[in-house]
Amino acid sequence: MTWVQQVQDAREAGAVYFDVLTAVDLEADGFEVVCRLWDPDAKVEHLLATRCSREDPHVPSIVGVFAGAAWHERSVAEMFGIAFDGHDTAPLLLPESFEGHPLRKDFVLAAREAKQWPGAKDPGESDADLAVPRRRRAKPLGTREWPT
Amino acid sequence: MTYPVPDNSRGIIALDENACTSCMLCARECPDWCIEIDSHKQTVQEEGARPRVVHVLDRFAIDFGLCMWCGICIEVCPFDALFWAKSYDHAATDPAQMVHERFDLRQWLNDVPEGTT
Ligand code: SF4
Ligand code: SF4
Repeated sequence: MTWVQQVQDAREAGAVYFDVLTAVDLEADGFEVVCRLWDPDAKVEHLLATRCSREDPHVPSIVGVFAGAAWHERSVAEMFGIAFDGHDTAPLLLPESFEGHPLRKDFVLAAREAKQWPGAKDPGESDADLAVPRRRRAKPLGTREWPT
Repeated sequence: MTYPVPDNSRGIIALDENACTSCMLCARECPDWCIEIDSHKQTVQEEGARPRVVHVLDRFAIDFGLCMWCGICIEVCPFDALFWAKSYDHAATDPAQMVHERFDLRQWLNDVPEGTT
């Protein structure tokens, strides 16, 4: 079943409230576009998902089913670099000059590169102590490995 | 017209310096890297006891311009030194003014609802 059909069917089954559309970067496995709908009468959520490749990331737009999905698709387009067929996704949050897709896992956050991690200091240390080379220093989680 | 601020509101973060051991856990767990701590080691000698090394806090600052009010620092502190305070009117026109040092963080202990400290 196509992505649009899936969403359409859910809407007809009672999930008339569009909550959110976002994406997950699955790295080598491409991207997953996720959509959460809510059935206000039955009080149940519908979690729908579709996949696209990393090389040619695009999925059909669902704005024909839920017009409110437009902002979400624009945000996913700029943050993940995923195209939505049938929807001209102008940038929503990022300035026009911005390069890259900041929610992709391979995107290097400039702020993380420029700033010294405050947790590198051990108890009883200040910034000056960091100048002393030590074999084992605590490393921040969730950031790329630093070239040494 | 003003409304009462509920006790469980996340206004601002208060620090009890006497409870803080400079263990660095909050600074390491903070996803936004917005807690800065400096400390140094000092040897204390008490009557009839062997000398021991303690950590003395030199600086504790939170950049509320970066903070996202997630509360992870408060959750993670093993010494109950951090608390949500109800005080909330801390907007500023200059990002540098959003960095609050230990003096401010200590003052806000007065705004921590009773029963949480
Ligand atoms: S509330 Fe969250 S973001 Fe703010 S200082 Fe604590 S851990 Fe960091
Ligand atoms: S986790 Fe608590 S005791 Fe440790 S440095 Fe932070 S405030 Fe101080």
